[in-house]
Amino acid sequence: MKNFLKIGIVVFAISFASCKKDYLDTKPSNGIIETTIYSTTASLSSVLNGTYKSLFAFVSRHDRFGQKSVDLACDLAGADMVVHTAGYGWFNSNYQYTNWINSDATTAQPDQFWYYYYDIIKQANQIIAGLDNATGTIFEKESIKGQCLGLRAYAYYHLINLFQQTYKGNENKPGVPIYLTAQITGNPRGTVQNVYDRIIADLTAAETLLTGKTFTSKVAMSLQVVQGYRARVALVMEDWTNAATYAAKARIGSTLMTTTQYTATSAFSSIAGPECMWGSLIPASEATIYASFYSHVDVSTGGYAALGTQKKITKALYDLMPATDIRKSCFTLPTSTSTSNPAYNQIKMRVPTAGSWAADYTYMRASEMYLIEAEALSRKADDAGARTALQTLVVARNASYSAASLSGAALLSEILLQRRIELWGEGFSMIDIKRLKTGLNRLTGAGNHGSPSLDPIVYTMADADPRFILRLPKRELDNNTSMTPADQNP
Amino acid sequence: MRKIMMLSLCFLLTISQLWAQNRTIKGKVLNEKGEALAGVTVTVKGSTTGTATGTDGTFTLSVPPTAKTLVVSSLNYVAQDVNVVGKTSISVLLVSTASELEGVVVQVPYGTVKKKAFTGAENTIGAATLSRQQVTNVTKAIDGLIPGVQVTNGGGAPGSGADIRIRGIGSINASSSPLYVLNGFPYDGSISSISPDDIESLTVLKDAAASALYGSRAANGVIMITTKKGARGRSTVSATINQGYETRGIPEYDRVGPQAYYELFWEGIRNGFLTGGDSYASAGTKASAQLTDASHLVYNAYNVPGTSLVDATTGKLNPNASLLWTDNWADALFQVAQRTNANINFAGGSDKSDYFLSVGYLNEQGTAKYSYYKRYNFRLNVNAAATSWLNTGLNIDGAMSRNQNVPNGGTATTNPFYYSRQMGPIYPVYQYGPTGNTFIDSVGDKKLDWGVPSQMGTRPYAGNSNLVGSLALDDRHSDIINANANTFAEVKFLNDFSFKTSFGINIWDNNSTTYQNNQFADAQSVRGRSTKSNGRQISLTLNEVLSWKRNFGKHGLAALAGHENYKYKYNSLSLTRTGFQYPGQTELDNATLTESTGGSYEDNQTLESYFSNVNYNFDQKYLVSGSVRTDGSSRFSPGARWGTFYSVGLGYRVSQEKFMKNVKWVNDLKLRASYGEQGNENIGLYYQYANYFYANGTGNFVAYTRPANADLAWEKNKATDFGVDAVLFNNRLQVTIDYFNKVSDNLLFDVPLALSTAFPTAYQNVGSMRNYGWEFAFGYNAVRKKDFDWRVDLNFSTYKNEITKLPPAQQKTGIISGTKKLMEGKSIYDFWLREFAGVDAATGEAMYYRDVLGTGGNPTGQRVLTNTIANASYYYVGGSALPKISGGITNSFRYRNFDLSVLATFAYGGKFYDGNYAGIMHSGSYGIAWQTDILNRWQKPGDVTNVPKLNTSTLATQDGTSSRFLFDASYFNIKNISLGYSLSTKDAQKLHLSGLKFTATIDNAWLFTAKSGMDPQRSFAGTSDATYPIYRIISAGVNVKL
Repeated sequence: MKNFLKIGIVVFAISFASCKKDYLDTKPSNGIIETTIYSTTASLSSVLNGTYKSLFAFVSRHDRFGQKSVDLACDLAGADMVVHTAGYGWFNSNYQYTNWINSDATTAQPDQFWYYYYDIIKQANQIIAGLDNATGTIFEKESIKGQCLGLRAYAYYHLINLFQQTYKGNENKPGVPIYLTAQITGNPRGTVQNVYDRIIADLTAAETLLTGKTFTSKVAMSLQVVQGYRARVALVMEDWTNAATYAAKARIGSTLMTTTQYTATSAFSSIAGPECMWGSLIPASEATIYASFYSHVDVSTGGYAALGTQKKITKALYDLMPATDIRKSCFTLPTSTSTSNPAYNQIKMRVPTAGSWAADYTYMRASEMYLIEAEALSRKADDAGARTALQTLVVARNASYSAASLSGAALLSEILLQRRIELWGEGFSMIDIKRLKTGLNRLTGAGNHGSPSLDPIVYTMADADPRFILRLPKRELDNNTSMTPADQNP
Repeated sequence: MRKIMMLSLCFLLTISQLWAQNRTIKGKVLNEKGEALAGVTVTVKGSTTGTATGTDGTFTLSVPPTAKTLVVSSLNYVAQDVNVVGKTSISVLLVSTASELEGVVVQVPYGTVKKKAFTGAENTIGAATLSRQQVTNVTKAIDGLIPGVQVTNGGGAPGSGADIRIRGIGSINASSSPLYVLNGFPYDGSISSISPDDIESLTVLKDAAASALYGSRAANGVIMITTKKGARGRSTVSATINQGYETRGIPEYDRVGPQAYYELFWEGIRNGFLTGGDSYASAGTKASAQLTDASHLVYNAYNVPGTSLVDATTGKLNPNASLLWTDNWADALFQVAQRTNANINFAGGSDKSDYFLSVGYLNEQGTAKYSYYKRYNFRLNVNAAATSWLNTGLNIDGAMSRNQNVPNGGTATTNPFYYSRQMGPIYPVYQYGPTGNTFIDSVGDKKLDWGVPSQMGTRPYAGNSNLVGSLALDDRHSDIINANANTFAEVKFLNDFSFKTSFGINIWDNNSTTYQNNQFADAQSVRGRSTKSNGRQISLTLNEVLSWKRNFGKHGLAALAGHENYKYKYNSLSLTRTGFQYPGQTELDNATLTESTGGSYEDNQTLESYFSNVNYNFDQKYLVSGSVRTDGSSRFSPGARWGTFYSVGLGYRVSQEKFMKNVKWVNDLKLRASYGEQGNENIGLYYQYANYFYANGTGNFVAYTRPANADLAWEKNKATDFGVDAVLFNNRLQVTIDYFNKVSDNLLFDVPLALSTAFPTAYQNVGSMRNYGWEFAFGYNAVRKKDFDWRVDLNFSTYKNEITKLPPAQQKTGIISGTKKLMEGKSIYDFWLREFAGVDAATGEAMYYRDVLGTGGNPTGQRVLTNTIANASYYYVGGSALPKISGGITNSFRYRNFDLSVLATFAYGGKFYDGNYAGIMHSGSYGIAWQTDILNRWQKPGDVTNVPKLNTSTLATQDGTSSRFLFDASYFNIKNISLGYSLSTKDAQKLHLSGLKFTATIDNAWLFTAKSGMDPQRSFAGTSDATYPIYRIISAGVNVKL
């Protein structure tokens, strides 16, 4: 009897042990499985929003905050931006041209920039792949696909300009791998021409798909931004007709800032401004604090810029602006003796409110489109058209400006000067130096490069110097079975 | 020993006398060292009458008049028959069998087994050994005690633990840490929360035969922690208090002072101008003029103008200059810390039940100011026989701790260890005026210098910071609650069967605050920043085990079968806000702005397992054991989640053979062999079998960076072990030797992919690695006298790690991982570095080797020198970070009532990359300190040295990671010296105590390394980090027993 009792207890206890069938099926609480994401256009839009976020997301290091970290690196590698002192050292390697060959470290820029753009390409490809079977209207699908193609073209445009010399004259040099689907096997480099063909194909398709689609926020890769990139690409390819045409189309809907708007703290840090065509909206809750663009350029944040690496305009360029030019007030007076805000320090790009990190990033402004149009028309010998475009822009900055007397080479040179002034600090230096084939010429002397400011080490470089292009990251060469060590840049 | 026994026997016989009624016998049981033995069973021979000794070793037993002999027995001791005829009081000395295998019981999965019948490889450390070291986390007490176990020092942060590797490095991308099991339950909680005072034993299961019953989690070995329980005798009370003082256990590097610092920088700046094309004279003049300006060193620590501080031609400091300040950051940031540990326990029981209750308190300050670890812990363990066939028990414990910490590890300027090391000697803690005058702040203290323009200028290293100020105002702490509740019920039925069901819960809750103050430094511009986060982990284990045991003549058979469920849940919640109006407010309600969006997530893991184990022996001579376990894990896809693991163990007790009876010098000899396959599923990340898009905290979803692999399954670890256990020469010498070969196969490999796919890596089951080597342990009782004992325990091991297979795409190129490269035929920690070729005596530049590349970019085998580090090629230089031999030696002495033990640990061979040293051997980074080796720099053509010239303009092309900073990792560490004095029982009784012991210890007494300041036990990978250095602690304690 007692044994029955004992065995009864045992059987009872064992019966408790049996598990529910789904006991071993667990899932993450903060993740959505792929099939759910791919089910509707609404959920794919959410992924697209995530992709837009990666344009300004902070990734592990204080010099990795998306597109603006590339922009800052490209300006520092140019001739018009001076670093005050060594400070905490971030980005000084760009100024001193030591990071471009550093392809080994996963923390170095070749690796970072390469991954940043390819990640956007991958995300765009994933969304495109998911669209076909997702439920939603054709209109929504066209809008999402158009944005994805635009983003893909954006990424390839920057990649090819970072990892190879300019287009013209280098068409048959190695390009960068092209992916049209998310995949785990690596593709070969191909040629520069392949990459530009891809970019134009994507932008052309995006233009068609996005026609008639409007967006409430300038965060989106809209029709105008796609056209703006088409103009940028044409300018690099020296396709002056398309450059002029697309630049004119792209700025439709944008107006130039007034002088008051131009000197507001939010001029370049609020995408709500009239000139902004494309940017990232960054509220305080999404700001990346010390690892943000403004930390590195704006002394009012108390970030790295305030800790020694103030970004200054060269005296040479500063002096080329007449006193009536509102843009001159974007820089601290040469007479400044402030240690935190020294002479020539940039105060163009600032957070709207000191003490808060809420500050948007601007990636494309209408004024650039005037400059592209002016340059393209000038090169097509349409001086009148070029003058009109130039005059429209510059007079908004300097009421007493007149381009009327300029023509030919003088006009072109004036347009290029205005480009350096207008777009100072916005990420254009490197691509311009390469496409214009001028080489690097950093002026020295008081207020320019060198002591007492940070020593740039490199003062001049001839056109097409290998240091103008990043080496491919070692991780790519090591793990891409379609590449060999011979695929490395010089 | 035998003499003593004979003597006591004679003594007893001479006073024998007959009694006619039940009488009471009192007694005390001691071990060879004169220590009281608790829990010793005392029974009347031939009857069931019996009792057990209390913690003071005494017993009282009422015996029938016919009783002539008492049997005194205890696990791990040789049982003794004691004649009690005519005696009312006896004293018994029991001889340990630790040397004899006889009776020793080891903790194994789901039970215990006699060591002599065990076919696996294990080592056990008992409470007596553990108590010699003043550790907060028991993992720190293991180093040097067990062969085949490698331990990091774990650093010196209050409350920190050490990392452990058993028999080599088991995995590349999955975890290589062992499975911890607390009182029979796989343990996810905090080991720091278990007071070492409560630990009875720590058993390390090393081979497959020992650990295979834990299946999918046992590949890296198992550490079983068993807490104390009450003895079924009279109740006892034991109280211990220990007070210690801590200082740095690893010295800081020697660094140059202010004068040398200025002179050296002058030289570096001058050399920079020479590189730029200046003449010597002009370069010297410029260097003198610019030395302390805003782009260079900024600060002038002397009373002469900065422009005339260093002579433009000689480079020597102005003889008229005298220092304005001599602040020392280390003095301001570090302290001699105190550590107090107190514990009281109550233990005892009747024949049907036992209890153990303990309460502990620990306050461990850190050697860095503003860091401490405080712990309050309690434990209650009750076991009862409810009926003759039903046993049950409950073991609950809880610890509440606060970990107040400072940032450590990494190069953030909030890390006081890095900060104080890197800071140049000319940068003061306090603000000074041009005459060396200080400033007083609003509360009357000396004003600190924050390295900002409004004070003394932008300090080139770590401007806008002063850790003396900010650490005092910041707050970084975690409140951790860790609790366990384990219970079981065991039913015995049908004679040979028993069924036991056990249920265990662990709850770990960490509520932490990271507050950066609102007045100074990083968070000043946003008026303070506070992050509150909570992590909570709950794990549950439920198992049912049916056991059966029977002897058939000379055949002994035991078997068990069981089922287990394991469930793990982790919840995380965190929020950051800024904008604090008043100082010292850290709670988010006081903040005005939300800086980051709050976040939360939950992770779940489940395991379901079936297991069985069979043990057979023939005449205690031939031993066979086998285990099998099937696990289903939620970490893998439904099609791949079930895996089966097994082991087979064989034992042959040669000494039981008849032909060995005459071999007197062999007391015991056993040969062991085992083979088994275990698993490793610990890749930390879940859900690798499906593609998930993850929320980024703002309502958007972002694509996965690692593609799913639905076929992903366990790593398999195939372990072979051959071992010998021997006791020789009249139990004087104990020897254990093992050979092991562990092959980790189907590695859960995070395979690198082409970066342009934007999937940097993907998990696949590819690759294999093996660890093979020898372990030796010797115990020698050098002297065993009445008043003096001396025992030596030596253990060491040697093993090799070899990667035998890599993913196909990487077989040719290998996989670079930091300072290492994984390659077939190499070890996981073989250094892959640029090779430093010394200093060019003509130019003073650091030279590195570079491969000459042929067609297709492949090296031709020829090498040239380069002065540009980025152009240098990488090589396998220096070998592996793994030591050739590592081990420990313990010398234990007893003289009368004194005991002394000295533990030394050592490693020979292996290399260490000292990045901390490299950081202060730069060729001229403004503001950064210099190690004194910099004085040997190259200065002029013809100088032969291995320290390159200083040149502030060539930092980027000259400085960098290379074999220049690779050192021999060998060390010898006097890890513990422990001295004790126990009052004799007689004297203790005069004080109405049953025992009184005083102890004095030094932990981490002396460390000898290739370079002073180096910390070779920082990591298995042989790399440094600006971490919290281990502390040396000198302590004194007293233990009172009632």
